[in-house]
Amino acid sequence: MSLPRTEETAQALRRSVARQFGRSLHIRTLDTGSCAACEQEIRLLAAPHYDLHRLGFFFTPAPRHADLLMATGPMIRAFDIAARKTYEAMPGPKLVVATGACALGGVYQPDAFTHGSVGDTLPVDVWIPGCPPSPLALLQGLLVAVDRLAEKVRDLTFIQEGGPR
Amino acid sequence: MPLWFLRGLRRGVVTTRYPGQPDASAAQLPTPPAFRPAALTRDLADRLAAICPSWALTRNGDVLFFDAGACTACGRCREAAPGAVTASGEFELAATDPAHLVKRIPLLGEGGS
Repeated sequence: MSLPRTEETAQALRRSVARQFGRSLHIRTLDTGSCAACEQEIRLLAAPHYDLHRLGFFFTPAPRHADLLMATGPMIRAFDIAARKTYEAMPGPKLVVATGACALGGVYQPDAFTHGSVGDTLPVDVWIPGCPPSPLALLQGLLVAVDRLAEKVRDLTFIQEGGPR
Repeated sequence: MPLWFLRGLRRGVVTTRYPGQPDASAAQLPTPPAFRPAALTRDLADRLAAICPSWALTRNGDVLFFDAGACTACGRCREAAPGAVTASGEFELAATDPAHLVKRIPLLGEGGS
């Protein structure tokens, strides 16, 4: 009899946790061999047009202060130890966002020098495609990571009926 | 008074309202392709897969698999087959699972193209 109410309470609690976590979040960026195009776009997030501070996101230089790790690049193998140390230095709960086509396994195939994807080394929570992802795409990805926006791409088909526009 | 302050007053607020309201500059972004299955044949799909520089397109039987995560929105497939491929206009592509980014495009075209 009290089961539905417990379920309801648990859901409300989960929502409030997401709300609390979504209010302020510190980001550490991790360049695992990217061409710096992704870094340029990430840098633009702090510019007046995008101003991610209004949404409660901040960049931090120290992994120990970070809640979210934004990894760019195809994860070169020489970077394995540094990437693991960065991830382990972060306090939990922590999120990992793979940023850009390289990090998602698009541009480089796995070989002797790169893993070809960030997902091989780190437990990725959100994947942001794009080469480079625009600041708007990055904002959407960050908001998806903290549950403030719903994931949209799952329902897209990339099929267009009729003629080209 | 510093000039940048006056300039700022004249220009007003430049910050986007993005998650609340759509951003006007989003229309100019390069976006991944959208496909027209009726115009796609096996030959054309193979040609597009060969053109793609980032292994985002693979054909398996009568299905073209499009990995939006690997796509760099370079537009080469759109240039090669303007009748079958257009820009999707989608930039909100963040996914919680990479499998959500792989799309099945059926090949419904007939004959060579």
